[in-house]
Amino acid sequence: MIFITGPLYSGKREYACKLLGCGEAELKGRAVWDVQDLAVQRGDLDILADELSQYEVVIATEVGGGVVPVDAGERARREAAGKLSCLLAQRAERVVRVFCGLPMVLKGS
Amino acid sequence: MFTLVIGGSASGKSEFAESLILASPYMPRYYIATMEPFDGECRARIAKHRRMRAEKQFETIECYTSLSGLRLADRGCVLLECLGNLAANELYSPAGAGTAERALDSILSGIDQLLAQCGDLVVVSNETFTGGNRYAGETDDYLHLLADANRALARQADRVCEVICGLPQFYKGAPV
Repeated sequence: MIFITGPLYSGKREYACKLLGCGEAELKGRAVWDVQDLAVQRGDLDILADELSQYEVVIATEVGGGVVPVDAGERARREAAGKLSCLLAQRAERVVRVFCGLPMVLKGS
Repeated sequence: MFTLVIGGSASGKSEFAESLILASPYMPRYYIATMEPFDGECRARIAKHRRMRAEKQFETIECYTSLSGLRLADRGCVLLECLGNLAANELYSPAGAGTAERALDSILSGIDQLLAQCGDLVVVSNETFTGGNRYAGETDDYLHLLADANRALARQADRVCEVICGLPQFYKGAPV
């Protein structure tokens, strides 16, 4: 599994298409994205990370930067999303952060 | 060796910082905790971090303000977590320095004092600067203080890294 992360609208899916040599339509079957939103609903993030790792590519938007929100629910969302990203990065053979459309390999080749 | 470790919420920065301390030859391992237990959420977070350190032989020292007054019994290695809380305490706590200028002085002289007393120092700080730029009054003062402290410590540090999903990216002094 290849894990792609990066800020909002940084070109993560476009990069995934390039990586897999496919278009947006085909990407739906081979990759999963916005997984940061799944994290807070799930108690066991290890199992969620295992499930997501079945995809060729998993994409998460980075949401843990910036000022820590005052709202407890928003804090919990960021915490869960960040933890899930750490678990996915552990499982991935390659981790890429896409920044302004430019990929930077954080793990693997 | 002085390492500054920066990351966002749940970026894996604590675990990475601990791994640096575990690799240090200096003993004992001091953990300087800066988070004041205000409420249940703080206490749960503190309990979580204590569990993570339980088997790693850390001696925990609570220090919420006035870091420069801290004296360590032995020349060990030190993990300070985190600068974001220390900065907030210095600004807003009744025991704190009060103004941004005095808070920055207190933090930086505190770090100097620690460096003089230990073999390896790892300071964990927070990436709180990419979520927007329109912050009013107190929040903006706080961000300026933390950013000033981050930049000053980054100049001083041997190694500086940002942790992204548990993976460190070195801006300075990457390990070979």
